[in-house]
Amino acid sequence: MMMKKKKQVPEWLNSSLWYSSSDHHRFDPPEPPSPLPPPVSVSEDPPTIPTNHDASPSSSISSAPSAADDTSRHGHAHTQLLVELSRKVIDMRELRRVASQGLSDAAAQALRPTLWKLLLGCLPPDRALWSSELAKKRSQYKHFKDDLLINPSEIIRRMHNSTSHDIDDAKFQSRTLLARSQITHGDHPLSLRKTSIWNQFFRDTEIIEQIDRDVKRTHPDMHFFSGDSQFAKSNQEAFKNILIIFAKLNPGIRYVQGMNEVLAPLFYVFRNDPDEENAAFAEADTFFCFVELLSGFQDNFCKQLDNSLVGIRSTITRLSQLLKEHDEELWRHLEITTKVNPQFYAFRWITLLLTREFDFSDILHIWDTLLSDPEGPKETLLRVCCAMLILVRRRLLAGDFTSNLKLLQSYPSTNISHLLHVANKLHVQSV
Amino acid sequence: MHNISQRKRTLLKVIVLGDSGVGKTSLINQYVDKKFSQQYKATIGADFVTKEIQVDDKLVTLQIWDTAGQERFHSLGAAFYRGADCCVLVYDINIQKTFDTLNNWHDEFLKQADTNDPEAFPFVLIGNKVDVDGGNSRRVTEKKARNWCASRGNIPYYETSAKEGYNVEEAFFCVAKIAQENEHVQDIFFGGISESVSEAEQQQQPSRCAC
Repeated sequence: MMMKKKKQVPEWLNSSLWYSSSDHHRFDPPEPPSPLPPPVSVSEDPPTIPTNHDASPSSSISSAPSAADDTSRHGHAHTQLLVELSRKVIDMRELRRVASQGLSDAAAQALRPTLWKLLLGCLPPDRALWSSELAKKRSQYKHFKDDLLINPSEIIRRMHNSTSHDIDDAKFQSRTLLARSQITHGDHPLSLRKTSIWNQFFRDTEIIEQIDRDVKRTHPDMHFFSGDSQFAKSNQEAFKNILIIFAKLNPGIRYVQGMNEVLAPLFYVFRNDPDEENAAFAEADTFFCFVELLSGFQDNFCKQLDNSLVGIRSTITRLSQLLKEHDEELWRHLEITTKVNPQFYAFRWITLLLTREFDFSDILHIWDTLLSDPEGPKETLLRVCCAMLILVRRRLLAGDFTSNLKLLQSYPSTNISHLLHVANKLHVQSV
Repeated sequence: MHNISQRKRTLLKVIVLGDSGVGKTSLINQYVDKKFSQQYKATIGADFVTKEIQVDDKLVTLQIWDTAGQERFHSLGAAFYRGADCCVLVYDINIQKTFDTLNNWHDEFLKQADTNDPEAFPFVLIGNKVDVDGGNSRRVTEKKARNWCASRGNIPYYETSAKEGYNVEEAFFCVAKIAQENEHVQDIFFGGISESVSEAEQQQQPSRCAC
């Protein structure tokens, strides 16, 4: 069968909207990650997009900016965001609307930490409650650390010395370490029997080792996360603490590879808060925001739900349906003609919330939009994924299985404002 | 306009499995790109690379699937395993546990891949990281590994160092060789922009599979 060269493109896809000045990006090879992206969102060239504003502001709460007047809007949005964040009681609907328009470089570092905490529900809308709420959470986190964490060298020491177990806290016993009283002579550490008390202990150790391996592999190209500096080491320590505590408090999910990547943007943003006190408590604040964020996405991480209506497979199927709905030709070419199972690329896109697909500063930009959507980040995420496919549709339609899968597994760098605009357009289309 | 041609090629689908951190991604990158890095991120889901090689005067495309090591991802395997021509099992000779789990990987693969003849399905075992600590931290002897291979229907065994590029070429050549015996020809459509073809390397290969 010959590949069709001439294809019928749905009318709306022919809109010059899709092929703006950012068009050239789509044919660039993916750029290697920059050694140390700046801690602020990138400023794109304002794409010259025709004034095809069929998305009336009233048709959607989260109507995205037309990328045309990106820059001027950014200044305006900054002021608006400041205004919204200064209110005595934050109007969340208004905040989401303003935030969804994107943060300017200037606004990003100063405002993003507070913005994300509000959007994730870790700060209540009433400002008067902020300090007490933060104090409560930070103290709770300290308790988690005291109760659940034993430093790795202590664990190693204990592994070699079974008589030194003295963790008796019954409350956490079942999910953490073992009570000394339960260890009998028959329960030799080398026993691999499922009933072995040591088995549970080793499972914990296994998870901790896995976390340790992955934390070291988190953004190895960024000094913030990686390297031998004191700063990087203390950040890695915070990462490990958060992931271990999460794993122990959530025995049904524990730790799944990739959670480190989802954690990274949160911790990076909070750790770089210009407010020194907030930055000092970044670990605690990140933990609670991470829990909030994952509560919306945890089903994707849960193996038992893989084949259920809420698991990762069905989420991927929904992406496939979304593509079919908006661009059936592309859907057909990808899934029927070239047989690219969406699981081959979308599994990582979705479970990691796109954190592997773009430069770090771009990820923060995308997350502003994900987190500010009033419907919650799940639907927005699928629309952004669908927009990613549509933005490279010409290449995909000309590609075979191999080239298509390679393209989608290492997605080319692209104008993020434009990507988000297209994603929002899909929203408007289906409304 | 793109010059679109249609050719029949031998496509060999290879799945690489093993515990997290044993060096699957490193081995594949050493084999395909002749590079080693300490900086690989953990593989999530499965990554995909291709390499063209010559086996017995025949040009074959190896389609290598690099999988995630964590147990959580097992249940998602079926989509990746289907149609495989060879399965490469990798363990770290310095970590006993990564050897102990080989039975799981082996059986789980056969269960999910849904192959016609599970008894005859070709596997290759790789014991990686022989460079570590000059071999002094080895926990699994070569004899033990070979015994396991014998008990599983004479699986070819290679000890490698992805870091130093030792024996990697040889191991994958064996993979290509035995995969080809299990060959299945598929139609591949090469569009004008398919880079995979031009990336082909046709280098001198070891003359035979030393299995």
